[in-house]
Amino acid sequence: MSNLSDRSTLPAEPLPPCQVACPAHTDVRGYIHAIARGDFEEAYRIAREPNPLPYICGKVCAHPCETECRRGDVDEPVAICALKRFATEQHDLSKGHAPGLTVAEPKEEKVAIVGSGPGGLTAAHDLARMGYKVTVFEAYPKVGGMMQYGIPLYRLPRETIDLETAPLKDLGVEFVTNQRVTDVDALLADGYKAVFLAVGSHVGRKLRIPNADLPDVWLNTEFLRRVALGEKIDLRGRHVLVLGGGNVAIDVARTALRLGAAEVSMTCLESCTTQPAHPWEIKEAVEEGVQMFHDRTFKEIVAENGKVKGVRCVKVNFRGFLPTGAPDMDEFPETEHVLPADLVIFAIGQGPDLSFLPQDGSIAQTPRRTIQVNPVTLATTKPGVFAGGDAVTGVGFIIDAIAAGHRAARSIDAYLRGLDPASVQPPEPQKLNDLQQKTISHIRHLKREEMPMLDVNQRKFTFDEVYLGYTEAQAIRAAHRCLTCGAGARVEETKCIACLTCVRVCPYEVPLLARGTANVPVDQCQACGICATECPAKAISMKLYSDEDMIKQIRDAVRKAKYNGEPAIVGFACRYCAYAGEDANVVKASLPANVQTIDVLCTGKVDALYLLKAFEFGADGVFVAGCLEGECHNDKGNVHAAKRVAYVKGLLDELALGNARLEMFHMSPDQCANMAEVVSTLITKVKELGPSPVRRS
Amino acid sequence: MIKAQQKPIAEIKALIAPYHRILILGCGTCVTISFAGGEKEVGLLASSLRIASAMEGQDKIFAEATVQRQCEWEFIDAVAEQIQQADAVLSLACGIGVQALAERYPDKVVLPGVNTTFLGMAVEHGVLVERCRACGDCILGLTGGVCPIARCAKNLLNGPCGGSQNGKCEVNPELDCAWQLIYDRLARLGQLDRLAALMPYKDWSKDYDGGPRKIVREDLRL
Amino acid sequence: MKVGSNLEKVLTSGYFAATGELGPPKSADPGVIRHKASLLKGYVDAVNITDNQTAIVRMSSISVGIMLLQLGLEPTIQMTCRDRNRLAIQSDLLGAAAHGVKNLLCLTGDHQRFGNHPTARGVYDLDSIQLIQMVKTMRDEKKFACGEEMDVEPRFFIGAAENPFADPFDYRPYRLAKKIAAGADFIQTQLIYNVPKFKEFMKRVCDLGLHEKCYILAGVGPIKSVGMARYMQTSVPGMDVPEEIVARLKGVPKDQVRKEGIKQCADIISEIREIPGVAGVHVMAIEWEEAVPEILELAGLLPRPKV
Repeated sequence: MSNLSDRSTLPAEPLPPCQVACPAHTDVRGYIHAIARGDFEEAYRIAREPNPLPYICGKVCAHPCETECRRGDVDEPVAICALKRFATEQHDLSKGHAPGLTVAEPKEEKVAIVGSGPGGLTAAHDLARMGYKVTVFEAYPKVGGMMQYGIPLYRLPRETIDLETAPLKDLGVEFVTNQRVTDVDALLADGYKAVFLAVGSHVGRKLRIPNADLPDVWLNTEFLRRVALGEKIDLRGRHVLVLGGGNVAIDVARTALRLGAAEVSMTCLESCTTQPAHPWEIKEAVEEGVQMFHDRTFKEIVAENGKVKGVRCVKVNFRGFLPTGAPDMDEFPETEHVLPADLVIFAIGQGPDLSFLPQDGSIAQTPRRTIQVNPVTLATTKPGVFAGGDAVTGVGFIIDAIAAGHRAARSIDAYLRGLDPASVQPPEPQKLNDLQQKTISHIRHLKREEMPMLDVNQRKFTFDEVYLGYTEAQAIRAAHRCLTCGAGARVEETKCIACLTCVRVCPYEVPLLARGTANVPVDQCQACGICATECPAKAISMKLYSDEDMIKQIRDAVRKAKYNGEPAIVGFACRYCAYAGEDANVVKASLPANVQTIDVLCTGKVDALYLLKAFEFGADGVFVAGCLEGECHNDKGNVHAAKRVAYVKGLLDELALGNARLEMFHMSPDQCANMAEVVSTLITKVKELGPSPVRRS
Repeated sequence: MIKAQQKPIAEIKALIAPYHRILILGCGTCVTISFAGGEKEVGLLASSLRIASAMEGQDKIFAEATVQRQCEWEFIDAVAEQIQQADAVLSLACGIGVQALAERYPDKVVLPGVNTTFLGMAVEHGVLVERCRACGDCILGLTGGVCPIARCAKNLLNGPCGGSQNGKCEVNPELDCAWQLIYDRLARLGQLDRLAALMPYKDWSKDYDGGPRKIVREDLRL
Repeated sequence: MKVGSNLEKVLTSGYFAATGELGPPKSADPGVIRHKASLLKGYVDAVNITDNQTAIVRMSSISVGIMLLQLGLEPTIQMTCRDRNRLAIQSDLLGAAAHGVKNLLCLTGDHQRFGNHPTARGVYDLDSIQLIQMVKTMRDEKKFACGEEMDVEPRFFIGAAENPFADPFDYRPYRLAKKIAAGADFIQTQLIYNVPKFKEFMKRVCDLGLHEKCYILAGVGPIKSVGMARYMQTSVPGMDVPEEIVARLKGVPKDQVRKEGIKQCADIISEIREIPGVAGVHVMAIEWEEAVPEILELAGLLPRPKV
């Protein structure tokens, strides 16, 4: 009817909040949508694309994405991290860690990376793919940085780290372990054209309070590293008090518990609501028996004869840290008390060891004793030397370091090609607006899937992994909770004739009239697809699928269904319900070859045209399997589907093809296993009618 | 707007029977809004007719296109090439569009795929009702904004007939009695006295009884 | 005296009028007319002849009216707006008048959808009120609808119909007033079975003084069977048949129903006679014309006055 509007002139689309919140801007929506429709390899591919460490992140990512997830405004956020883990668990590693990954022609330039944490590994990965010769220097025996020497085993089994680092060697990255770099200039002199400093933040801190130097006053980083290096530390019978309330403090406490400590407690400045550790970490620690003492400042390690007896604390109302780094708080008089302990572990923060930087100050530091960089390019004050990760930002998340690794790789590549590193960094993405209350009111509530965990009594004595991962059905249910933000309907304004169909059929009351055409606000659309299917002007399209894709799938399905002289049956099955039970993929695979199903996320997306097309391509029978009435994910998608089926049945009668060739089934996930049986009722009717008289040449 | 309904497939099949290459031409305005002849309906009809053709062992070729308004030469000309390539054009526009095509392409067979039904509106999604008969002499100002010409089965001008019951029309109980609506509206407006006045004979010459109508605006003519 | 028809004379003389109705055949058989005329002759003041009633094609009202004149009965021809435009109506009325027809009932007509030619085009050039007005203008101003004058005008005693039970109920008396203003000399109502509701209607009519401006004849009719009563109750638009009417017929043995129907009709007439403002009854016993004399006898309305 009219030319498609030129999308290239449109401003960049706003991205879902999860994707914006992810420092690596992972296409979360993309991989969750793929899981939701049962395409797990595609999910892994999408999750892997911006992240060379998806297996690790699937287990221990701090997932800032979930905090931003708009499902959280409806009920609870989507379990994004657990779903990433599920995608990695489903991935067939024999196809490679990154199937389809391209590697550029080898280049001459050598790049040195100092530190093998997530930042260093990511930069190494990217630069190797660009063709550079990359050497990673690691001070400790094994690669992984804080993932290897900080994160406890019960959260991240070390095989997972090995699994992620092995492919880097295949990319040609050289790892030099047990080698602490002490002279950056020497590296440059040695022929490395660029250096990326990703040394992490491995130095714990103590408060300067009396007795802090006693042998039984330990440091978080050292303690965790010793455990990781395999040292047998026996804490049986000990009463451990961890000073600090962050995630590392929790790791320390739970590790102490697993080393046999009789009692483990934690104390921190913050209250139970402001404690910086993630709430779920706190919950799990408390479940395991860690005791929490909030709102306290520590005055002195109480000791007798060099033996620690406890920590003298005072109750405070902590309001945060002042710019000077000092706590902003009032001490409550006469609240002084001693928390008993015979081993105290400081976990109040940590910083980088920058002693290796050149003495001449050519690589400048910040007043916070981190490496000073240009925040856009990560260039330090020395040409050719870049830095990122915790050594620059202070303690951050793995995914922050991965993002820094990407940034550094882009900068280094630009630098080596004589370009301005600032010019190659992508702009910050724009985020979708919040959901409106009206939209929220229409969204079906779905309970978040609990992550299966080791029983608390079992787990607190071992370093076995606590999280067990989702089953397939759990993962699919969890993925169905995704609102596929921003992937909804778009209106082609030149085709829209403002007929108001979308305004009238939207179950979420999203479309509006604006400037004479319909407008489906991208930030509110729930991507149910009903408006696109009902639009009489074909002015609405969906981001994640198109008529062309569907018609191609239908054509393929009819071809595959023509098997062994049996009636060729094509089904459109809703992945939210009819096709969402335990082992849906198994059910799908077990259907006879003459029954081919096309998965849809809600039958509201099944256009009347698709049904006709299946017959046009020669199908003998067609069915739509949607949710039970009243159970539709999108309120009325299955109602629309049933009406379209009825309409097309009328056409089939007009065509003398027989309306019994088309059926709508309403099924719950429990009935998924009976799919073959349900379809057999259709097959019987189709057999009575005989083969379709539509024969395509 | 103009409302239309697609013809039964059997009738369309009979219309296109003599032709091999058929262009199904939709119209992007009124018939799209009335779910009879827009791009979506073109697709559905094309697929149905392909099925019919294949069932009968024919190899008819169906092309699909939709223009913004078939009642304007300029819009039709946008698909001139496709029209020329077809043996016949099956128009899903209203009768105006069909005739515009016939007039613009004097050598081309043009067939109607829809029945142009009435001038009306959607009172709810999927429910279209007649509101205007284009009688050429609007009296809505006298009847409380409810038209007895379009909405009364007998065009009564002086009140309801004896078949008005419970506010419904005896001819079609699914339709409201126009005169009940007029009465209710005038009652609300405090203008029931208007009903006492005898309405004069209607001047039907301004309707089709005066012959095909034409409006000429000399001030606009080029 | 406007016209001098028997009906007009009966009414102006203050008698309680009784008219009958004759349904023309769906054929060209004049025998049917003669037979039905013989059943009614002498028992009613005038006989209505329906005009393609319920939109079913029958012998034309005017031609049957002429036959009745020849047989010595006074016809009231009916004219609907459904089948004729203003040209045809005026032309036919000129002819009817020329043959001596003096009573005319002006109707809109049942919609063609209900008849035996449901795909026919309905004319409805005029509505019934405009038809009344047109006939009055012809009679009193000797003018056609277009304003042209004529030499000899058709003189009709102009009747109109009214359904007291149709909606909006509150509007009905005013619609009656409109018909009278347009020129109606007498009114025949829809069949009355709900007498209390008719009483209420008549009270409003009298409050408006309409009974002094025209003669109101109440429509009555016997019911042949319980089935017919039920059908009229549920399926005839604009008909109000209270449950007790049906119950009374159900209360007698099957072979007594017809008789009971006749008695019931006579009882209704007796009730109606007591209602102020009612000038007569119009007995509609279509295809049961032989019941009319019995009904009128029972109601004490025989013999008819000679005026």
